[in-house]
Amino acid sequence: MSLIADRPGPGLARPYRFPQVVRRDVAGGRVVAAHLPGQNLAVALLLLDAGAGREPVGREGLGAVLAKALEEGTAQRDATAYALAIEALGTELVTGLDWDSFQVSVQVPVERLGAAVELLAEAVRTPKLDPDDLRRVRDDEATALRMDWANPGPRAEAALRADLFGAQNRWGRPMYGDPDSVAALDPEDLTVFHSEWFLRPGTLVVAGDLDRLDLDALGAAAFAGTGGGPTPVEGPVDVPLRAGRRIILVDRPGSVQSTLRLGHAAPHRAHPDHVPMALAGTVLGGAFTSRLNHLIREVRGYTYGIRGDFASSRRFGRFAVSSGVQTAVTAPALVEAVGEITRTRAGGVTEDELAVARSWRAGQLSVELQSPRAIASALTTLVVHDLPDDYHARRRESLLAADVADVSAAAATHLHPESLTLVVEGDAALIRDELAATGLGEIVDVRP
Amino acid sequence: MPDSGFPWPIETTRLDNGLRVVVSEDRTAPAVAVNLWYDVGSRHEPDGQTGFAHLFEHLMFEGSVNVAKTEHMKLVQGAGGSLNATTNPDRTNYFETVPAEHLELALWLEADRMGGLVPALTQETLDNQRDVVKNERRQRYENVPYGDAWLRLLPLLYPPGHPYHHATIGSMADLNAADLATFQAFHRTYYAPNNAVLTVVGDAAATEVFALADKYFGAIPARESIPAAPDGRHVPRAGAPVAETVTAAVPAPRVFVAHRTHPFGTPGYDVLTVLATVLGSGRGSRLYQRLADGERLAQPDLVGAYGVDLRHAPAPLIVTATARDGVTGERLAAGVAEVVDELATVPVTAAELDRAKALLSTAWWRQMSTVDGRADILGRYATQFGDPAKAAERLPAWLAVTADQIAELAAEALRAEDRVTLTYLPEETA
Repeated sequence: MSLIADRPGPGLARPYRFPQVVRRDVAGGRVVAAHLPGQNLAVALLLLDAGAGREPVGREGLGAVLAKALEEGTAQRDATAYALAIEALGTELVTGLDWDSFQVSVQVPVERLGAAVELLAEAVRTPKLDPDDLRRVRDDEATALRMDWANPGPRAEAALRADLFGAQNRWGRPMYGDPDSVAALDPEDLTVFHSEWFLRPGTLVVAGDLDRLDLDALGAAAFAGTGGGPTPVEGPVDVPLRAGRRIILVDRPGSVQSTLRLGHAAPHRAHPDHVPMALAGTVLGGAFTSRLNHLIREVRGYTYGIRGDFASSRRFGRFAVSSGVQTAVTAPALVEAVGEITRTRAGGVTEDELAVARSWRAGQLSVELQSPRAIASALTTLVVHDLPDDYHARRRESLLAADVADVSAAAATHLHPESLTLVVEGDAALIRDELAATGLGEIVDVRP
Repeated sequence: MPDSGFPWPIETTRLDNGLRVVVSEDRTAPAVAVNLWYDVGSRHEPDGQTGFAHLFEHLMFEGSVNVAKTEHMKLVQGAGGSLNATTNPDRTNYFETVPAEHLELALWLEADRMGGLVPALTQETLDNQRDVVKNERRQRYENVPYGDAWLRLLPLLYPPGHPYHHATIGSMADLNAADLATFQAFHRTYYAPNNAVLTVVGDAAATEVFALADKYFGAIPARESIPAAPDGRHVPRAGAPVAETVTAAVPAPRVFVAHRTHPFGTPGYDVLTVLATVLGSGRGSRLYQRLADGERLAQPDLVGAYGVDLRHAPAPLIVTATARDGVTGERLAAGVAEVVDELATVPVTAAELDRAKALLSTAWWRQMSTVDGRADILGRYATQFGDPAKAAERLPAWLAVTADQIAELAAEALRAEDRVTLTYLPEETA
C-alpha cells in the first residue's frame, strides 16, 4: 500500500446561506438581527455614526478617549460597580472605532443578552463624564498611544496617511489620533462630542438565537432616552494622486527589521469596481499565495510576511502594502515589491491566479462567518454601507463571476506604482545610502 | 446553558496504524474543520536544536511527494479555505477549515505530508524557511519593546535540561546550524500516524470521515517506538525568589511576575485558571481595581494575569503590569507582589468568583462557536488525555472551583520564595 497520488476533486457543494436577516424599527431606532438557531452565545452591537470621520481636525482621538470614559461610572453607579455588574454577566464592554462608525458591543450567553444591553445603553447614553475622570482617562490614553507608538508601525502608518491624504484633513491624520492630539483634548471637547453623536439612536445589531431573544425589548433598552435623527454623510473625497514616487524614511535607530508601508490613494467603498479591485488586491498581496508573499517571503526569505490590499471607507480608500523585512535587505525588498506592483498593473492577472483568488474570497464567506461576533460584524457592513439583506449571496456570485479581463482592468486602472509613497521605518543610518541608490524616488527624512 | 461543555456528538476510531480519528458532526453550516495534533513540540528538542520543531512546521507547507512546492496553500485557499499551523512547547497542530465539499482534498493533503514529506524536502526549502523563521523571530521578539519577555522568563522558571527551559522560537545560533539530515530524521521520528490525532468537525458524517481517513492515511506505517521528551513533571523549588532586571529601549517600566503552578488538565490548574481570572481579567479584577484604578500605579490597558496551558510540567502563571508616568519599576513590582500575596490572605468574595466564572463561561462558548475552535479542543483532549470527550469536563470543573481552593492554591503555589520577577526599565534618555 502507498499514499494516494491522485488529488481528489470536490464533492457536491451544499449552498451557503447567510443567516436570515430581520430589520425592525423600535423606539426611534433600528434593530438589525441575524437568526442563529441553537447558538448559545449572542452578540449585541450598538452602531453609532460617530466614527473618526466625525472628529474635527485638531481633535483627533475624541472617540478613542470617550470609548474608555464610558466605563468611568454612569448616572446610576460608579466605575467599580459598573465593571462588576457587566462582568458578572460574562462580558466586558467592547468598543471599536473606524472611519465610519463607533461600535460598542457585548457578548454573553443568550439568556443574559437583555441585561447586558441594558448595561451597554447605560454606559453609552448616561455616562458620568466627570471632568476629573476625563482628564485622567485622556492622560492614560495619551500614555497608551505613546506605548503603542514605541512599536514599529504606527509612525510609519501616520507618515503614509499624511502623505496620501494631507495632514490638513481629518482623514490625513491617524484614526485614533496621536499622543499629542490626545493629550491636548479638554473635558469639554469630550462632553460636546458625546452630546452631539452618542445620544442619537443609531442601530442595534444582534446576532443570536432569535427564538430566545426579544428584539423589541433589546431595542427599547438600547434607544431609551435618545433623540435626533441620522446626519447626512458627505460625499466621497477627491484625493489627487502624487505626481512622482517618493521615499519617506522614518528613523528608528537599532531596528533589526525595516517596517515597510507602501501606498497610494484608491476609490471609496461604493465604487463600482469594488469586487474586481478586491480580487486584484488578493492576487497581488491578499492571500498567502499572493505574488508579493511568494516573491518576498517564499523565494527571497526577506520577511515573515508581506500583505497588500485595497481598503476603503465611505469617503475614501487606499491601496497599501505592509511588511517587516530584515534590515540588510531593505533596499532589494523595496525594489522587488515595487517591481511586482508594476508588473501586476502592466500585465494583469492570470486565470490560474484568479481562480484561487475568487474561490478563496467566496469560500471565506462560509468558512469565516460562523461565530456570533463574525455575523454581527457582517451585519455592521450591511448597515454602514446601506446594503441589502442578500448582499453576501450577491457578493459571492459577483466574486465567482469576475473574469481575467475585469480584474486585469481593475489592476491597470487602480494600481499606480509611479505614484507610490514608500514609507520605510528603520535604522536610517544603516539603510539610507542603499535606499538612495535604488533610484526609486527622493528621500524625505522623519526623525523621532 | 447545558451542563456539559461539549453538547455535540463525538465519535472516534483508531486505524490499524494507530492514527486516532475524532469526528463531531454539525450540519449548521456547509463548512468542515480538519485538525491534526502531532504529539511533538519544543519540549522534545535536545540542546543545540532549539527552534527545530517550529522550523519543521514551516517545512510541512513546502510540498510532499504528490504536492508540489507552494501547492499546499494554493489548493486550500483555492478551495475557499483558511489554514494555518502552530507549534508550542507541548505539540504541533495543523488545521484548515474548508467548504464541506473539499473535505477529501484536505485529508489528501494532510496524509501526503504525514506520509510523504521526506523525499520532497530540499536544502533550498530549508534555507528559505530558515530565513523566514529568523525574520519571524526578529518581528515578534527582537524588534518590539518587551518582545523577549517570554524568552527570558522560561529559563528563570525552568532549570537547564527541563523541557520548558527554552522557548519554541529557538536561538538564532541553533537555527543557523540546522541541517537537512536532522529534519529528515525529525519527520521519521515524530510524524507517525500513531503519534497524531485527526479531528474533523462540521458538515460531515463520522462513517464517511472514518472511511476517508482509512483511504488516505491507512497506508502510512506506524513507527515502533517514539522517543519521549524529558520528564519535566518535577521542578525543584528554587528556595529563594529569582529576579532579573533588564534595561532596554522600552517606553515605560514593566513587571512580569511568574510562578510554576500545576500541569494543565489537573484539578490544581482548574483552580489556577479561575484564580488568574479573578486576579487579572477585566476591569473588575483585583489587579485593575488595586493597581490601575485604586493606587494608580499601573496603566489601565496593560494589567493582566493568565495561565499558560501547558500539560507536561507545572504550567506558569504570568502576571504583568506597566508603570504609569512617574512610577518606578521597583514600586510597581512591590505593588504587583502585594496583590498576588493577598490571594492567600484576603478571601475571594462570592461576587469575585461569580464574575470570573461568567467571563470563563463566555470564553469557553466563544471557542465552541466555530467548527475550527471545537476541532482544536477535541484534538487536544484526545492527544493529552486519551479521550476527546473529556473536553466536556473542563467548563464544569471551572464552575465548581471554590474560594477556599483559590486561597489554598495561592498559599501553596504563589509563595514569595518561589516567585520569578522580571522587570524592564527604560534606558536613560539624554
